[in-house]
Amino acid sequence: MSDRKLPRLLQTPAVLLLLVWMLIPLAMTLYFSFIRYVLNNLRRPEWTSPSPSNWRGFGNYEFVLNSKDFLFAIQNSLFIVCSILFLTVILGILIAVLINKTFPGQGIVRVLLISPFFVMPAVNAVLWINMILDPVLGLQGIAVGSINELLDSLRNAPLVGGFFSLWPDLAPISFRATQTSAYAVIIMVTWQWTPFAVLIFMTSLQSEDQQQKEAAILDGASTWSQFRFLTLPHLARPIAIVVMIQAIFHLSLYAEIEIVSRGNGNKNLPYLIGEFANNNIGAASATGIFAVILANIVAIFLLRMIGKTLME
Amino acid sequence: MAIVAKSSRFSKFGRPVLAWGVGLMFFFPIFWMMLTSFKTDADAVKPEHLIWFTPTFENYLNMTENYDYWRFARNSVITAVLATAFTLCVGIPCAYAMAFNPSRSTKDVLMWMLSTKMLPAAAVLYPMTFITKSAGLFDTHFLIILVLSLINLPIVVWMLFTYFKEIPKDIIEAGQMDGVNTWGEIKEILIPLAWGGIASTALLCFIFCWNEAYWTVRLTTTDAATLSKLIEGNRAPEGLFFGRLSAVSAAAVGPIVILGWFCQKQLVQGLTFGAVK
Repeated sequence: MSDRKLPRLLQTPAVLLLLVWMLIPLAMTLYFSFIRYVLNNLRRPEWTSPSPSNWRGFGNYEFVLNSKDFLFAIQNSLFIVCSILFLTVILGILIAVLINKTFPGQGIVRVLLISPFFVMPAVNAVLWINMILDPVLGLQGIAVGSINELLDSLRNAPLVGGFFSLWPDLAPISFRATQTSAYAVIIMVTWQWTPFAVLIFMTSLQSEDQQQKEAAILDGASTWSQFRFLTLPHLARPIAIVVMIQAIFHLSLYAEIEIVSRGNGNKNLPYLIGEFANNNIGAASATGIFAVILANIVAIFLLRMIGKTLME
Repeated sequence: MAIVAKSSRFSKFGRPVLAWGVGLMFFFPIFWMMLTSFKTDADAVKPEHLIWFTPTFENYLNMTENYDYWRFARNSVITAVLATAFTLCVGIPCAYAMAFNPSRSTKDVLMWMLSTKMLPAAAVLYPMTFITKSAGLFDTHFLIILVLSLINLPIVVWMLFTYFKEIPKDIIEAGQMDGVNTWGEIKEILIPLAWGGIASTALLCFIFCWNEAYWTVRLTTTDAATLSKLIEGNRAPEGLFFGRLSAVSAAAVGPIVILGWFCQKQLVQGLTFGAVK
């Protein structure tokens, strides 16, 4: 065997494994999306197993596009993803700029900040929805309860009592309803992924041109204009990357939605696919193809950007 | 001059106070979970025991009884360790070939590998269930190890590739002149030289495997169920079991959070595919 051949052959196992892993399931999804395939159907038992004779063309796609659940899931997915992106990028920039300079205990603060990122998603969701956001037993419930107790005692106090009796009692928010559980998901994922944004922005800030900055200070540029005209343009690329990577991860958000939203109507695309997959495999597959298309729109831009760095 | 004076006062007092405040705020939920884990289930939901309570280890001592914790933990360890090992076995030769014997297609192959990482898992949910059930692999360690390896392989190859690229080619070529064969090169030159990079890649891969929560939940029932599945299955304790649930959660994430502290830097590389330096 020649010098070069064996080394090149060494990449085949990885490539083959990934090829099989990607192509076979995806091809099956594509196939199922064009046939009638329903797991439980007593009247049409021939639909309960995949066969080309149950060809349905674009029927499943039409069915999915016309279903209310699908439109809601798309809207909700986009709402959740965009909110998380907005919050993590803003918070990430602010925190990164804040802790990028040395101060006592910088190392410890960094460790504290990064910790949420390593919490497993299932624990994140269970922790927030129960121990923190529960309207009665969680911290939220306890906080609201004690504020109300305080208000109550102030109402009976002399002099100020009349004023405080005009105040209403606070009502705790239940985070298990359709809309509010989407907020709960946004809160917990933002908590988990802001550290990621901070870490990336900090890495990037460390390569900022210090001489340029010193020149700006000598010229009397304010802190704000230094940030606006030097730091922010420098962060443009990392921001784009944070946005795209998070978009791809959060479009397939699953554990948090599953734990927070079971049965209350809050769903995103992966959750809807899971629901369809209990029975209507054709519809689940068509939805899956839509999810692939959506992810690819983002992935193309991200890959192009990564490809550019690779050339450098 | 006024501006300089103001900003220096900010950096002396304002910045540390604000930064510590933000850091503690982000850590608070984890701290809260740890604190709750030392309360009895009854104390955990009583406002008067919010901060003052008699700490107890009972929740940790009863983890086996309450949740069968060690069985799930064992599955998590087995699948994450073996998946990491397998990924490295496939990934190291691949990254070696790409870094030291690149061809015109190397870049495209790398980009294609990354693109597999960007496919939404849910899209292939049913085919995966179908294939694994008909092959009798559903809910087996083998399946979870394979799946975890495959979802992390692109990141591992990518990270290793960036580390290997920094090793001077001459060193490898000197090995070739001395008549060392390919395996010898990998084993005796590459691995010792890139040891740090390989170790941190492995650590990150292990963390990702441990925290994976789609396939480990959808493709297991009992035999190969990991800690993600355990926690997911106890999602709504209705306040009855906050103490014990906190303990089992803390035990599930504690070791990983600590491991995570050691690989912050690699995290940036691993998750941005080298696009942010």
